[in-house]
Amino acid sequence: MDDDVKKVKKPGIVSPFKRVFLKGEKGRDKKAQEKATERRALHTFSLSQPDHRIDPDILLNDYIEKEVKYLGQLTSVPGYLNPSSRTEVLQLIDNARKSHQLAGQLTSEQDAVVSLSAYNIKLVWRDGEDIILRVPIHDIAAVSYIRDDSLHLVVLKTAQESGGSPCPSSCPDLNKSQTLSSLSESGAVLVEVCCLLVLAVDNKAAAEELCLLLSQVFQIVYTESTIDFLDRAIFDGATTPTRHLSLCSDDSASKVDVKEAFEADTSTFPFQDSMEAEGNSPPASTPTSPQTKTASEGELSTTAAELLQDYMTTLRTKLSSQEIQQFATLLREYRNGASIHEFCINLRQLYGDSRKFLLLGLRAFIPEKDSQHFENFLETIGVKDGRGIITDSFGRYRRTASSASDSTTNGNGAAGGSGDSAASDEGQEASEGDEWDRMITDISNDIEALGCSMDQEGVTP
Amino acid sequence: MLMEVMKNEADRTSVASMALYSVMYPVFNQAEKENPGLTQDIVVKILEKKRLEINYNECLLRMAADDVEEFMIDRPELEFQELNERSRALKHILSTIPDDISDKVGFLQTIKDIASAIKELLDTVNTVFRKYQHQNRRALEQQKKEFVKYSKSFSDTLKTYFKDGKVINVFVSANRLTHQTNMILLAFKTVA
Repeated sequence: MDDDVKKVKKPGIVSPFKRVFLKGEKGRDKKAQEKATERRALHTFSLSQPDHRIDPDILLNDYIEKEVKYLGQLTSVPGYLNPSSRTEVLQLIDNARKSHQLAGQLTSEQDAVVSLSAYNIKLVWRDGEDIILRVPIHDIAAVSYIRDDSLHLVVLKTAQESGGSPCPSSCPDLNKSQTLSSLSESGAVLVEVCCLLVLAVDNKAAAEELCLLLSQVFQIVYTESTIDFLDRAIFDGATTPTRHLSLCSDDSASKVDVKEAFEADTSTFPFQDSMEAEGNSPPASTPTSPQTKTASEGELSTTAAELLQDYMTTLRTKLSSQEIQQFATLLREYRNGASIHEFCINLRQLYGDSRKFLLLGLRAFIPEKDSQHFENFLETIGVKDGRGIITDSFGRYRRTASSASDSTTNGNGAAGGSGDSAASDEGQEASEGDEWDRMITDISNDIEALGCSMDQEGVTP
Repeated sequence: MLMEVMKNEADRTSVASMALYSVMYPVFNQAEKENPGLTQDIVVKILEKKRLEINYNECLLRMAADDVEEFMIDRPELEFQELNERSRALKHILSTIPDDISDKVGFLQTIKDIASAIKELLDTVNTVFRKYQHQNRRALEQQKKEFVKYSKSFSDTLKTYFKDGKVINVFVSANRLTHQTNMILLAFKTVA
């Protein structure tokens, strides 16, 4: 009976303890509830069951959001970590939680939103929308779902950010004062490192949904990239010059255009066998290509002309009229003194991710002195030598093939490097350089005109 | 005992097949030269008559890896032998499409291999152009252009396939590409 009495709440009498502490707790609960009602609705779509299929267009042109809890990100994790091994992954997570690298208790403070598209995963806090991190899709190596009692973890194995160096296997935390050479001297074995992005979701269904969405993203991205790789292989093989870089040619060139839209004429620069020996300019007959050139331009190697023509052909099929005009503007700015760095960045922005392979065709436009920067730039954006999603073989495109640009000037008045030039004396080099400059100017104007003519084609019924 | 019977049966059949082949091949060869496409028509009709559920395009593609004497270049120079080799490599990879296409991940790898093989073949063609002078160069370059056109068509077909899932179009396009590969070999064999 006494117990019953104790259990009955006596109205009007409140313990001071409760008054101070529980009031605060109630207040926090109330705030949390208010927060939940204030939070914006997620940008989400209904997914077809049972495999949570989503329209690929949504991932390509839109995005989808899911609610998660962000526990944290582990860095400098050995790259050989097996993401399928529950034991290995949980061991890392447990150690990280003990050392407070990852959140221990899950509260509303870890509430976050993961925004998923074909381009990246973006993580923002649920309240305030401050960005936590962004991971490009090509940086995600694996996605794992681990159920640890009531905890449903989704773990993403991702590339370490570029600031992270390969880490010695004996020492997970790289001491930044050590150089790589000293590391090798000490006998430590360097291992690649990665990151683990640790998320928690409400239940198994939510975890499976997130994993399947990511799987669909990978499918889209890697399918697109694979087809791009195929297109680039065809483009590269088709546009590789087939001629000697000397002036000698016994037949006119045929242009290889991968789309039927623009058929370049095959007899732009006819040559005779005797020309190389006599050093004469070709006959003054007017070429039938849309770009009418003077006889002196025939002194340039047909390789250079073919490369430029092929590039224009490709531009027409890949860019809109406005983009073609923008390209012409950028090219002109570069030739008038803009830096190679600026040129590269602006072009990359113009082409975007899906057309960045077009940068390969620009090699012929780049003078020798800027070629190293250009090649490095190609590598950083994953267009060359195995960086990025697909390993490709375009590093085999030899620099000598674009030596037509050797005598290019870029408005600074600085002549390009020597390289393999067909010219045999300084006078001829200067003349070839001038001819090249004029040709580039003409091509730039033609590109711009191409853009305008495409505009007109669009308007005219 | 059963194995022995089966082996004898197979031997008897192959002997009969060989005899039939020896007699009929010259006939079909000549008829095909004068009426291109005749052999295919006959084969397709036989399949229809027998109501055999065989995908003709798939079979043709699987056979693409087989060496065909008439398309092999005889010249001993390294570049021409490389042309033979790279053509063979491309046709071999294309012939694996029917087996790989159902595995989404595996098929992506096959496409990458096809891309590399196309690039290597074109590189070799370009090398031959650079190194050797040919009288009928225009014809050779035209053939290269055709090959590139059909390569691009193959790429477009794949894009469509990933949207609509129709494998038959991929088989047809791959067969066209193997044909163009053979035409490149024939062009160099004839002109060189």
